Amino acid sequence: MGILTVKDVSKSFGQAKVLDNVSITVEEDEIFFILGPSGCGKTTLLRIITGFLTPDSGQVYLGERDITGLAPANRNIGMVFQNYALWPHMTVWQNVAYGLEVKKVAEDMIKSKTDRVLEITKLAPFRDKFPPHLSGGQQQRVALARAIIAEPGVLLLDEPLSNLDAKLREEMRSEIKRIQKDTGITMIYVTHDQKEAMSLGDRITVMNEGRIMQTGAPVELYSRPSNRFVASFLGDVNILPGKVAALSGGLAEIETSEGRLKAAAGGSISCGQDVEVAFRPENVLFRRGANSMKCKITGIEYYGETFRADCLTPSGKAIQLKVFAGESRRLAAGSEVEFDVEPQHLILFGEK
Amino acid sequence: MKKALYLFCFAFLIYFFVYPLGHILSQSFVVGGKFSLAIFKSALGNYVVRRSILNSFMLGILVVISTTVTGVPLAFLFARYRFPGKNLLRALFFLPLIASPFVGAIGMMQLLSRFGSINLFLMKAGIIHHPVSWIGSGFLGIFILETLHLYPIMFLNISSSLNNFDISAEEASYNLGGSFATTFRRITFPLLMPGYFAAASIIFIWALTDLGTPLVFEFKDLVSVQIFNSIKDINTNPQGYALVFFVILITLMLFILAKRLIEKRPYASGRTSVNVVEKDLGGRKRLLAYAAVGLLLFLSLLPHMSIILTSISKRWFFTIFPAEYTGEFYRTVFNHRLTRTGIVNSLMLSSVSTLVDVVLGFAIGFFLARTRLKGRQILDLLVMLPLAIPGIVVSFGYFSLFSNTPLDPRNNPMVLLVISYSIRRLPYLVRSTYSSFQQLSESLEEASYSVGASVMTTFRRITFPLVSPGLFAGGVLAFSFSVMEVSSSLILAVRERHYPIAKVIYTVAGRITDGPYVACALGVLGMALVGLSYYASSRLVARKIGEFFKIG
Repeated sequence: MGILTVKDVSKSFGQAKVLDNVSITVEEDEIFFILGPSGCGKTTLLRIITGFLTPDSGQVYLGERDITGLAPANRNIGMVFQNYALWPHMTVWQNVAYGLEVKKVAEDMIKSKTDRVLEITKLAPFRDKFPPHLSGGQQQRVALARAIIAEPGVLLLDEPLSNLDAKLREEMRSEIKRIQKDTGITMIYVTHDQKEAMSLGDRITVMNEGRIMQTGAPVELYSRPSNRFVASFLGDVNILPGKVAALSGGLAEIETSEGRLKAAAGGSISCGQDVEVAFRPENVLFRRGANSMKCKITGIEYYGETFRADCLTPSGKAIQLKVFAGESRRLAAGSEVEFDVEPQHLILFGEK
Repeated sequence: MKKALYLFCFAFLIYFFVYPLGHILSQSFVVGGKFSLAIFKSALGNYVVRRSILNSFMLGILVVISTTVTGVPLAFLFARYRFPGKNLLRALFFLPLIASPFVGAIGMMQLLSRFGSINLFLMKAGIIHHPVSWIGSGFLGIFILETLHLYPIMFLNISSSLNNFDISAEEASYNLGGSFATTFRRITFPLLMPGYFAAASIIFIWALTDLGTPLVFEFKDLVSVQIFNSIKDINTNPQGYALVFFVILITLMLFILAKRLIEKRPYASGRTSVNVVEKDLGGRKRLLAYAAVGLLLFLSLLPHMSIILTSISKRWFFTIFPAEYTGEFYRTVFNHRLTRTGIVNSLMLSSVSTLVDVVLGFAIGFFLARTRLKGRQILDLLVMLPLAIPGIVVSFGYFSLFSNTPLDPRNNPMVLLVISYSIRRLPYLVRSTYSSFQQLSESLEEASYSVGASVMTTFRRITFPLVSPGLFAGGVLAFSFSVMEVSSSLILAVRERHYPIAKVIYTVAGRITDGPYVACALGVLGMALVGLSYYASSRLVARKIGEFFKIG
């Protein structure tokens, strides 16, 4: 059992099923991401973990302890709110110290601990300011400081960077990582930004329509997504429908509109099954090989370090290819190219 | 506990607000146990009643027109242009609101009477040779005072509509080739319409039901005065019921219309940002604007100046300005038995009613903003209606309902005065707490729970401190309004020892010797109190004080 476990949790609002049998296990000291598009139920899951909502069924455990019915105040779960929720009538120092005061910690202890947390979050110069007078990034730090001071078992962050501009967001991202390292606190981080999740997360769970789609390390999710949703939510992907023609030695041969392709097969694939074959636009090699395909370039977009080529296959499927700028001489709108994808970069989805 | 308080709020409003109104209705339509229109037939057959209704209507409409002509352009000037001294001038436009028009009327008599300052000045300057009868029957005087008192309401409402107004809506029209006139007619005016209508209907109702001013000018042919007079023989003459019913009918119609208009505008909420573009006002235009604003301010502060001058003048007959000054009338205010009684009564009544308002206002604001209790919408309607239903209606209802009961105002009106003050001011308190609750994001409370604070601690340290400025600001205003409350005070207080300040001012002003001087001195003190309370409550809430006069 991890430090926090959500077991078979379901929640409906009226007719709408917002969470459908959701289970996650968060390990100690990790940054665990809940990633999904808006409306996928991630905020509801978060509010169930904090106790602001009660699940219709299922349990929440902190360590071994069942906290499903416990009041939010007694859970020892910290929270950084999306809008920060700083108390405007208290100074930075008072905001941060509050969590210790309500726990009736001794006064000198409150002083030294608050000062230390303000030091860690680089807020010491602003201790006597009121939140409305702080910049967005500073407010974000206060929200963090306030949440970590009581040393919660787990810290939840609800889209904490969504109110910041792009540059500040990068800065705070590494700041959060640093604070996590310094304090060793377990974080559950909710976001819809896959870049945030990939760069920061030790593990990610991807949610869609109230269900967990896949949980794993960022590299695993990106390179071996277990379904179409995860594949396309984490990045661009080309998908071809096909049928399993042969299976041998961990390799499957798939009959597609672009010819017969060889892919590394997982366990649950059987001969004659309808499948989808997916590959990322950057995993193409301009050479003749085992999985050679042809396409005609219809347009090119320049992204600085890469180019993206929009193409049409002979059978009329639209696909994308991504190449580094150095290889661009091969690409010109209107020209035909031949490319190959290595079998380990072809991903198979059994279910549509 | 919560449930009980909720039910109590309902019971309180139903027994002391709905029940009296219902009683008036049943008294107007039921004769001898049967439905009948006889009372209306006989009332409308009466020449004086017909004339009063007509006059009141005229007065209301004229005041709406005059406040529109002054208040709307003023609001545009302040919302759209930049000029030095703007903030100071804006603040000065609150001054007209601090004097009840009826106190202003007492002072204005000095200026407008046959040998008052204005005639004397004009005669001295050689503009006229014989004194002009400014007051005439009194109608003109009432009209002037109501206009000067009420146009800030129009100004504040249109200003706040304009501040919430995204200028790009107009720019889009200009961009497509719309002229100024077309843009105003098709874009600006429709967007301002709900705010305008709400302000106009409140102004109409206030002008229609103001009792003090016509009494001072001794103009009897108005609905409000007729209702006041009918109370003396309330048990034998049913005419009052017909007139009160007429007022209720108009008020409810306007209230419902205004509410519908406001609910219909989808653009009222969800606005994210408004770019206010103030243009510089230069050269001749700026001079013109200053002249207009200055003239308007001068006119609207005439009543105040005349009250203040009267209160410190030793003698003021046949001269433009008083011949001699003195402070003795302020001493009289505190030494004379009747004025002292009035001050003590008003302070006590207002303190108690404000306390009731603060408690109920906080509770109801909480119920409306933070619970899903059944019947919330009805409570909302009940508590906001007194904003529209005039004081004379409610007081008339009390008189007719509680005659010959332990609460009979003829024996002791104190309880009913407290309740009528509370009910009249409760909407302000509910509104300000409600909006404080709404501005207080629930995540602020959740953040407190999440660091381990209990419900009580969270309430004490987070919720209450954040809501209380709004509550106290509303309380301060409610207190000072109650001290200067006119219509219920005039109607409900029958015996001298029960008189609140307003009735004392009215009674004293009628005394021939030093009456007006003492009345004005008391009026000045009241004005100072109201002015101070505006200042105090605007310091308490960063929110602009004009919010309290926003309707809808």
